[in-house]
Amino acid sequence: MKQKNEHKNSPIARRRFLRLFGSAVAGGSILAVTGGLIGKARGEEASLYWQIDPQKCTQCGRCETHCVLPISAVKCIHANKVCGYCDLCGGYYRSNVKELNTAAENLMCPTGAITRKYVEDPYFEYTINEDLCNGCGKCVKGCSSFGNGSLYLQIKRDLCTDCNECKIATVCASNAITRVPLSVAYKLKD
Amino acid sequence: MKNCRKIGLLSSLLMAVGMAFAQNRFPKPDFESGYQYPDMTYPIPDETLWTALDIFLLIALMSFVAWAVIRKRTRKPIIWVSIISVAYFGFFRSGCVCSIGSIQNVALALVDNSYVLPISVFLFFMLPVVFAFLFGRVFCAGVCPFGALQELVNLKNYRLPKAVTTALGMIPWIYLVFALLYAITRSSFIICRFDPFIGIFRLGGDIGLILFGVLLLITSVFIGRPFCRFLCPYGALLSLFSRVSIWKVEITQKPCINCELCHHACPVDAIRAPYDNKVKETRLEGVKRIMHYCIVLPLIIVAGAFLMQSFSGQLSRVHKEVKLYDMVMQHEADPQDILSVELEAFYGQGGTLEELTEAYNAVQADFRLYAAIAGALIGLVIGLTLISLSLKRTRTLYEIDHAACVACGKCFSYCPQNKI
Repeated sequence: MKQKNEHKNSPIARRRFLRLFGSAVAGGSILAVTGGLIGKARGEEASLYWQIDPQKCTQCGRCETHCVLPISAVKCIHANKVCGYCDLCGGYYRSNVKELNTAAENLMCPTGAITRKYVEDPYFEYTINEDLCNGCGKCVKGCSSFGNGSLYLQIKRDLCTDCNECKIATVCASNAITRVPLSVAYKLKD
Repeated sequence: MKNCRKIGLLSSLLMAVGMAFAQNRFPKPDFESGYQYPDMTYPIPDETLWTALDIFLLIALMSFVAWAVIRKRTRKPIIWVSIISVAYFGFFRSGCVCSIGSIQNVALALVDNSYVLPISVFLFFMLPVVFAFLFGRVFCAGVCPFGALQELVNLKNYRLPKAVTTALGMIPWIYLVFALLYAITRSSFIICRFDPFIGIFRLGGDIGLILFGVLLLITSVFIGRPFCRFLCPYGALLSLFSRVSIWKVEITQKPCINCELCHHACPVDAIRAPYDNKVKETRLEGVKRIMHYCIVLPLIIVAGAFLMQSFSGQLSRVHKEVKLYDMVMQHEADPQDILSVELEAFYGQGGTLEELTEAYNAVQADFRLYAAIAGALIGLVIGLTLISLSLKRTRTLYEIDHAACVACGKCFSYCPQNKI
């Protein structure tokens, strides 16, 4: 009789045991994963931000088209201390233009984001209007082909939404976009 | 210094030669007019405060939901939490990094030592898991902006047939396995890539995914939480912990009167109806049944592993190195005049076939191993689903399936015992 009673109760006891066992496994795995990761998780040095390595960038033009933002967070920036201040600028004028004037058909930038200011003979200072720049990289291609490479593309930290997977990085032809820690949030040339 | 222009013209000849990598073709100008270089600064917004607020809100909202469903048994606070979550985590913080996507970062950090995991991402992953272990899926209830968005538009719960929910219920697990496979092979973060709601929160993005998200939202007006139940890989993970959680959601403290109102109120089919198992099984039959399980389950697992491993070549196509390798091999076999952007970058940067082949082989080896493990896990999911279908348990009362319960709290107000 006693045995029969035990048998009747046993499924309940078994379920309770299984539940307890499950809780122990779940709690244990939480502790194990935390323990495994606590040494690796970092605050400041963690690679959270996306940035372009200008040495690798081939100006394929996908930064303009593949960013999740309506206007790409990639902008051209200008290293004045690298610039040659040339009159005939490969990033400002299209190649083989007939006349060197500021008519739109002669200029490289499709949105007119690059302006220049006369400094002294024969130097011109080039400035980029970030609001107009769409990150197409045409001027960068011109400047790195014919000039000092002072124009280059960077992801602006104030515009980038820090997607967990950068959509441009998935299509970047030269793997120039990688995760970087905050200390190298920009890879500047000057 | 007038020769600057001449050199410029000369160098335009270089264009025919191709892209040159020379830097400093022109010397630094020595200005005579006292020109000063403009001061350029690039802003780096300080995110520390926002991240801290994210974590604080995550903890606060989850605690609030836990208090509401376990102590107070009321749904009202959850609606407020949902609205806050959709507004803050969804539209304001535009959804990245979310807990669902953080699975991939954590998996990558566990396998790959070179990846440094941000502490905020770790917390986003771990806190909901810990809360699920303590109180059930309080994160899903309304703190997750995806769940909250679906909950807020839900009006009616048309019940799907059990066959459909069981079949669709396997998708999150399989999705989770694929997400892990592609994350630890450094191929892609597919959860982030195919996120249906991020486009809605950001008011822009891939049009196909936005359409999918809108479709899901329209579906969730009539069927409770289709994304959470049939797609979300993080929900699948949390259900494991919620199943064995320490404190559990209970509809009422008073005795159940089997009125079945809660069963009809539940949007996620988490309340099981009473069932009278008429099949009387002797001990020997029971042992035989378990023996069958013990034979069939490993068979399905091994079959899954073999099947997935045989497809590892195709699976690896998502990886960028593999894509590039295929392109280069195609080009070497049949050289074209016009190079694609990828090939131009590869040859332009002096990449060699040997290096690429080495990288390709490493990726393939990775995929052979991890695809087999993934296949085994998929086999396990399918096998356990089949076994769970064959299990018959006698229930005398309506019972909550704590793995499926998302702690939305809809049942509380329907329970007549709560009102007295």
